[in-house]
Amino acid sequence: MTTFGRNIESPADFFAVTDRDDDPLYEVTLWPYRSLSDKGFVTIILLVCLGFLVPITAFFGSPFFWGILPFMAAAVWGLWAAIQKTNKDATVRESLKLWPDLVAVYRKNPRSEDQYWYAHPQFVKVHLREDTKIEHYITLSGGNREIELGAFLTPEERLSLFEALDRAIYQAKSPVS
Amino acid sequence: MADAAIHGHEETPGFFKRWFMSTNHKDIGILYLIVAGIAGFISVAFTVYMRMELMQPGVQYMCMEGASLFASAVEDCTPNGHLWNVLITGHGILMMFFVFIPALFGGFGNYFMPLMIGAPDMAFPRLNNLSFWLYVTGVSLATLSLVAPGGNGQTGSGVGWVLYAPLSTLEGGISMDLAIFAVHVSGASSILGAINIITTFLNMRAPGMTLHKTPLFAWSIFVTAMLILLALPVLAGAITMLLTDRNFGTTFFDPAGGGDPVLYQHLLWFFGHPEVYIIILPGFGIISHVIATFSKKPVFGYLPMVYAMVAIGVLGFVVWAHHMYTVGMSLTQQSYFMLATMVIAVPTGVKIFSWIATMWGGSISFKTPMMFALGFLFMFTVGGVTGIVLSQAGVDRAYHDTYYVVAHFHYVMAIGAAFALFAGVYYWIGKMSGHQYPEWAGQLHFWLFFIGTNVTFFPQHFLGRQGMPRRYIDYPEQFEYWNVISSYGAYLSFASFVLFFGIVFYTILAGRRIEEPAYWGKEAETLEWTLPNPPPEHTFEKLPTPDMWDFHDHATFEDRAEDIEEAVEDAVKS
Repeated sequence: MTTFGRNIESPADFFAVTDRDDDPLYEVTLWPYRSLSDKGFVTIILLVCLGFLVPITAFFGSPFFWGILPFMAAAVWGLWAAIQKTNKDATVRESLKLWPDLVAVYRKNPRSEDQYWYAHPQFVKVHLREDTKIEHYITLSGGNREIELGAFLTPEERLSLFEALDRAIYQAKSPVS
Repeated sequence: MADAAIHGHEETPGFFKRWFMSTNHKDIGILYLIVAGIAGFISVAFTVYMRMELMQPGVQYMCMEGASLFASAVEDCTPNGHLWNVLITGHGILMMFFVFIPALFGGFGNYFMPLMIGAPDMAFPRLNNLSFWLYVTGVSLATLSLVAPGGNGQTGSGVGWVLYAPLSTLEGGISMDLAIFAVHVSGASSILGAINIITTFLNMRAPGMTLHKTPLFAWSIFVTAMLILLALPVLAGAITMLLTDRNFGTTFFDPAGGGDPVLYQHLLWFFGHPEVYIIILPGFGIISHVIATFSKKPVFGYLPMVYAMVAIGVLGFVVWAHHMYTVGMSLTQQSYFMLATMVIAVPTGVKIFSWIATMWGGSISFKTPMMFALGFLFMFTVGGVTGIVLSQAGVDRAYHDTYYVVAHFHYVMAIGAAFALFAGVYYWIGKMSGHQYPEWAGQLHFWLFFIGTNVTFFPQHFLGRQGMPRRYIDYPEQFEYWNVISSYGAYLSFASFVLFFGIVFYTILAGRRIEEPAYWGKEAETLEWTLPNPPPEHTFEKLPTPDMWDFHDHATFEDRAEDIEEAVEDAVKS
């Protein structure tokens, strides 16, 4: 088994230890909430384009068309890009898997490189911190690092995550497991 | 994953960082309100000076020999029509672009829309900061254009806020260019703000808050943002062509080169009519909450209220040419615009009657916000009725460019929006500052403002019917009687405006501290009332749950029975 307590040099290191046949004791994937569906996105963009058709139709084939079109195109693009950006931000995923001898977290970031962390459950502690601006802030310490978990969730979700995770790690540490 | 503690123990920002580099939606909302207040004061001051000039026939104040605050003898004064035109233009541009929209949409919209939908902030906080500073740049350019070299060898541009070609293409000096830039920058600010608001409203509502459960004020801000997004690009295109006509030799609006000045009017009013709704729609949202709160009843007909706003927004885009019946359109075109315009009365009527139905059978408390809401209903209805009169193309022939039109749009839009704005200020100032205004002062402000504005603008209907044209520095003495009364009304309104600033300063500096989050009672049930006064810097890190706002659809019979028993007990005690 890979030595714990050091940073991972490459994703290959991470997958080398997490790619195993036995089922994990506990597994959870976390992602943030967004209220606009894909259908809603298409609808709003269509509505804006239809709205712009009212004035622009009158100018097909005239120089005025080119005077107005860039501003309309910029507005549609701006709205499109803004909604896509917030949706992209919501593609962050945190996946935690727990075995009796391994706890591993994989975070898929929307724009930066993916992040990995793993440690032996015996050396891992779950903290529920109340001294930060994020209510019920969850951190995991171990492997010479302290990482946050589920910072994008609601506090209630974090609280239930903490309880489940704490219980699971306790069970993983217990000799009978 | 992110290393821990990146969110821990953040220091409170200093004064400069908080107010000049803010990305917090509440602080930016307050900044919008402050700058809009300053711009509003400048703009209103212009009108007081104009009403001084119009109080008597003949020109006494705006003389080529020098503008003065003291009347000169008419024979010693050479009328300075350019100055008059500059003041009208300045008043219009400031009010249309830099006062009501920034205050209602930028100020209250920024502050309360995210709170009401349970979002921790706007979707793009830094873009929000950019929008605000673009707005400040626009205000500065607009103010600068008043004193920059302009037409007639004087300073400032006197072409009217609509910037009609060929007046605007031929006006000398850089003042006109600065005014166009001001509108450009303001438009960019509004579009960026609109994109931010739309994204926030659509994508960041709390779990369970479906569109049909979103508060009416949040809806009104969303519909306004959609109107801005659809209308402003057309204006941007039009004034860009104006700019190239002025500076680069194009002839988009010059008949000598194959252009068409009437086309500019079409483009301007395609933006300009939705602009009216952009100004008034956030007011609709405020009024709905105020009336429900002080009637101690949920708003009547929530869904019709939502869809009435949407309908008003949609119809607002297809009626623009009723502003230009006299340019030579065909009868068919005029008939269409006439009918389409009258149709707007339907969704507007739905709103008015729903507000009345909300009050019907309610236990109405006549606090200052409610008084302003009632004032809004009166002003908006009077202005709406004269709007129906003006929508008739035949009748409009007689009223076009008279004071009847001035009275109409001030009632329905300008003063209507002002009443909604004041209702919002008194409704939320305790929430925003943690201090409550003195009720007697608010009531005094209301009555002075209500009487003042009605005395100012109601007589202008009579002046219009007598045939007095708008936009002139002077008039024949036959029009003197109602002009004198109108000017006294303007002075009273201005006095009430000064009093308002005094009330706001007093409230913030020495107003009674209020701790109760829902200080208007439990009927004020949107999410901002679950927060302390003022709300903390960061709100809804804890996302709200439906039980915090979803009172009506899921309240059990027992809940309602308890409410009713409680109300009966209160009534018996009182």
